Amino acid sequence: MMRPFIIWIPTLPLLAFLALIFWGRRIGRLSGWLSAAALAASGAVVWGLAPAVARGRHLAVRWPWLSVGDPRGVVGFLVDGLSWLMLVVVTTVGTAITVYSIGYMRDDPRFSRFFAYLSLFCASMLGLVMADHFVLLYACWELVGLCSYLLISFWFEKPAAAAAGRKAFLTTRLGDAGLLIGLLLLAWTAGDLQMGHLAAIREQFLLDGRAALLTGISLLLLCGAAGKSAQIPLHVWLPDAMEGPTPVSALIHAATMVAAGVYLVARTLPLFTPQSLQVVLAIGLLTHLLAGTVALTMTDIKRILAYSTLSQLGLMMTALGLGAMSAAMFHLFTHAFFKALLFLGAGSVIHATHQQELAHLGGLRRQMPWTALVFLIAALSMSGLVSLSGFWSKDLILLAAGQAHAGLLVLLLVGAAMTSAYVFRLYFRCFLGAAPQPVHPSHHAHESPAVMVVPMAGLAMGAAFVGLVGSPWLGQPLFRLLGESPGHEGIDLSVVGSSTVALAVGIWLAWTVAFQRRRLLPVSLRPLGRRLYTLAARKYYVDEGYDRWLIQPFLRMTEAWARFDLRVIDGAVNRAGQAGWALSWLQERCDRLVDRLVNGLARAIRGMGAALRWIQTGVVHQYLLVAVVSVIVLSVLVHR
Amino acid sequence: MPAQSLLLLSHALFCLGVFGMLVRPHAIGMLLSIELMLNAAALNFVLWNRLFGHVQAQAFALFIIALAACEAVVGLAIIIRLSRMAKTVFADQVTLLKG
Repeated sequence: MMRPFIIWIPTLPLLAFLALIFWGRRIGRLSGWLSAAALAASGAVVWGLAPAVARGRHLAVRWPWLSVGDPRGVVGFLVDGLSWLMLVVVTTVGTAITVYSIGYMRDDPRFSRFFAYLSLFCASMLGLVMADHFVLLYACWELVGLCSYLLISFWFEKPAAAAAGRKAFLTTRLGDAGLLIGLLLLAWTAGDLQMGHLAAIREQFLLDGRAALLTGISLLLLCGAAGKSAQIPLHVWLPDAMEGPTPVSALIHAATMVAAGVYLVARTLPLFTPQSLQVVLAIGLLTHLLAGTVALTMTDIKRILAYSTLSQLGLMMTALGLGAMSAAMFHLFTHAFFKALLFLGAGSVIHATHQQELAHLGGLRRQMPWTALVFLIAALSMSGLVSLSGFWSKDLILLAAGQAHAGLLVLLLVGAAMTSAYVFRLYFRCFLGAAPQPVHPSHHAHESPAVMVVPMAGLAMGAAFVGLVGSPWLGQPLFRLLGESPGHEGIDLSVVGSSTVALAVGIWLAWTVAFQRRRLLPVSLRPLGRRLYTLAARKYYVDEGYDRWLIQPFLRMTEAWARFDLRVIDGAVNRAGQAGWALSWLQERCDRLVDRLVNGLARAIRGMGAALRWIQTGVVHQYLLVAVVSVIVLSVLVHR
Repeated sequence: MPAQSLLLLSHALFCLGVFGMLVRPHAIGMLLSIELMLNAAALNFVLWNRLFGHVQAQAFALFIIALAACEAVVGLAIIIRLSRMAKTVFADQVTLLKG
């Protein structure tokens, strides 16, 4: 009874996309509300499914897609606890951001096209999350990447935006290639691409002793996840993607699309062997810490938040590497709310002041009280203040890390300190303190309109309270949703205590750096400190490294091939043409010879005629004489 | 008269006619010579009848007379035409056939 309804979830935004692409210009201002309404309707369907999903039922819709021999080509949509969680994230956060964009993109000439792309993105993300079959997942994966490209380079008149879109697409493409190879390998060895059968496949492979194959496949899938979720080494596109409009950064590059990689790993966790999980852990941890250090040095609001996203995604990957799927998904859930809120707050600031650099911002709390308040809530949630959402999810991850290895816990605490440091640095510099000299005297900041503030307030409620579904206070219903038993009972005070200490350290650090301007390091360590700072501020030279070792050699190679093409291949064609010329020249000479022969023959005959003309004198008597003489001669001869 | 000498006569007349045709410059003189040749041939035919008894030869002589008449008409017509065109009737002064 319920089942056919789930097909409306991705279809409604898709219909909105089609309507907006064809008639968007005529709809005009209403485009944004249409897009928001479609997404909200999808959200209503999702929430309507809540009772069924809470009871642990899996809802599915299937249809045959390809029947070649083995009738296993059945694709479909599946809504179980995991995908339902993602659906809630996409629809709820997505609706809030869409409404916000109506205010943010108000003056843009391509208003309706923005919402068309946004709707397409939501449709493909919803499809991705509900996909039951890897082929459908891959199709939606690519679509999501396409929408990311379209939206990053939305203001394509800016060369930086166009380049950023290209970079994002190419980098994620590289990851997607790995994903595709992994899927093909899976199809070839297991013969089955249904997601429900993954546990069975794992059992079969382990039984057959093909654990290495499992590791290979899972690592290839990790490639795709690393590309989409911007883990090291494929992380380079996310900071550049900030060239897109801020709502895009909020929705795609904070809350949903970059979470798709985490979702993929969570979904395919049965395929991960202990070895590949170690790789996941290593990559996640590295990304978490390195991105955190870079975020401390950035001066552009959106860049700080981009590196923060990288760092938090690394944390989620770390949790997955520890096998704590529920903790990771829980953190994804809470992160969507507070990170989207941070971005929307940043967008509010940018919309009001047209500034992105921290050097030009300050003291905005007076003019933008609501924005400052929601930003503070989000910052506290992300830093893990007790009882806010971010605390619950981070706590679970810290617990899992502590159970695995004490050193891991220490590293994550360092990461947590960095997290609160950079986000509060941003808050202090932007909202507190003295207002700087205005760049343009006519620009004074003002609070954003209600259409932007209300969604932010909604997300703030989420950022504060949504974590309770995973907290012990409510009995951790989230875990039952995800099909796992609650990890532990009660609260481990030592972990809570140490994470709060980390939070406090971070805030103190930010306060010092932002206001007190006191030198923190002793004199002997300052050169080292400065060098480390520069290293982080230059983002560890990853982009430069890629350029020098990958891009330039590739370009040199293509130039060499171009030269080859010009000289050898074109040369060959030109030589062929010249040979044709030479042949025709030869033919002309022969023709001329033949002409000469023919003309010569004619002349010879004319000459003979001229030579013999003297015989015809016109004197009749002569002719008669010849006739008579010849008769006589002939008759004599005949007589003989 | 003995037949041999009569044959000789017709042959002699013929030769005279040929000679005359070849030698005489005047066109009508050539025509007369041709008439002489024709008559010599007719005489020859009749003599054949006298000698061998072929009756058809006499009839053929009549043919020759008729033919001679026609041929004289045509010849005269040609000469009149020629005289108008070339303003002369002497054959050696006309080289219209030169080519």
